[in-house]
Amino acid sequence: MPYLVDAFRLARWLAGSRADAEDIVQEASMRAFKNIRGFSGGNPRGWVLTIVRNTSYSWLAKNRPKDVVFSDDLDQHHREQIEQAATDQMQTPETALIAKLEAEQVRKAIAVLPAPFREILVLREIHDLDYRTIAEVAALPIGTVMSRLARARRLLSATIATGIP
Amino acid sequence: MTLSSQDELLLNAYVDGELDPIEASSFEQRLQSDAALNAQIETLRALRGALRSDLAEDVPSPELRRRIMAKLNPPPRADRNSWMALAASFLVGAVLAGVTSFGALNYRTSDELAEQVVSAHVRGLMAPQPTDVASSSHHTVKPWFNGKLAFAPTVADLGAQGFPLVGGRVDVVRVEPVASLVYSHGKHLISLFEMPNTSGASAPVTSHKKQGYLALSWSDGAITYWAVSDTAPDELKNFVRLFRAAAANS
Repeated sequence: MPYLVDAFRLARWLAGSRADAEDIVQEASMRAFKNIRGFSGGNPRGWVLTIVRNTSYSWLAKNRPKDVVFSDDLDQHHREQIEQAATDQMQTPETALIAKLEAEQVRKAIAVLPAPFREILVLREIHDLDYRTIAEVAALPIGTVMSRLARARRLLSATIATGIP
Repeated sequence: MTLSSQDELLLNAYVDGELDPIEASSFEQRLQSDAALNAQIETLRALRGALRSDLAEDVPSPELRRRIMAKLNPPPRADRNSWMALAASFLVGAVLAGVTSFGALNYRTSDELAEQVVSAHVRGLMAPQPTDVASSSHHTVKPWFNGKLAFAPTVADLGAQGFPLVGGRVDVVRVEPVASLVYSHGKHLISLFEMPNTSGASAPVTSHKKQGYLALSWSDGAITYWAVSDTAPDELKNFVRLFRAAAANS
């Protein structure tokens, strides 16, 4: 699969719109091109996605400063949301309910996840990366990747079970 | 049911295929007697299915490729024949895979493209087997391309008309993965390449000769097709006619 498609998908999930994603991918392409000598071997797809991720956050910080939540900067509100979801584990939606969801509804449910959880979920489910590569792309310890992924899925389940916003 | 957080991590890692074989097998033993865990697994898998359901639409517009190409113009030159230059050119290709196929690059003439598809055909014949998925059924070959390409190729069964499907593989033409279908006709093999048509315009069948191979190309708007073989020209033309008829009816 061409990395351009990968790059676009990650940017779209992080930024939420096609037009913004294309701007981000264009900027990320220029950065990747300039920094090609910084690539030290290893997984080129992970390298590209790392650049797209970082470009997405800097683009969002510049263009939509109110929306951005950085990974190492979880605020109280989000922490409470997570704790709430943790205690609400009973709210697991029926598999049949999930199967009937429209793509658009899934997209909305993911859009309301806090960014640190959304990015891990997207790298895992959309890009099919393994934990080690996700840890590299998101610059996180692997244990944090695992706990964020579990919480992201729990939050997503809870969002779906309680009705899409 | 409330899972312990350790179990929750185990469950997620199991669904993601991240447990080592020993861990996975002991987890599977627990699964046999734990309906609640099973239900959780079903939920996680259903979420994954829902997330991946509209991936095919989740692709950038051709306009983006054009914009990036315009920004990168003029194309970089490899300054030295060093390892770094090689790595750099590989990465430019990797980052922008697909970009270079854009039709605006007029120095890539269709004659060059003919050379590339004939080379891919010949390369296929040199390999121990010409296909990566061997099957005469389009029900097997078509789904095999899922996830390997950004488009769904047309796979026609032409066995009854004397051109049985042998299988498929993915080739790289102009730094972009393309679908290659292999059909046989008597002792000859026909490679049929399918690639996204960046101009979007339909084109009638045109013919190119390269190194004794005949390459016929046409476009139906979204997809450009190239059929390459050393079989008799009339036979290849017949194949193209049958394929187009089958594609139009599918």
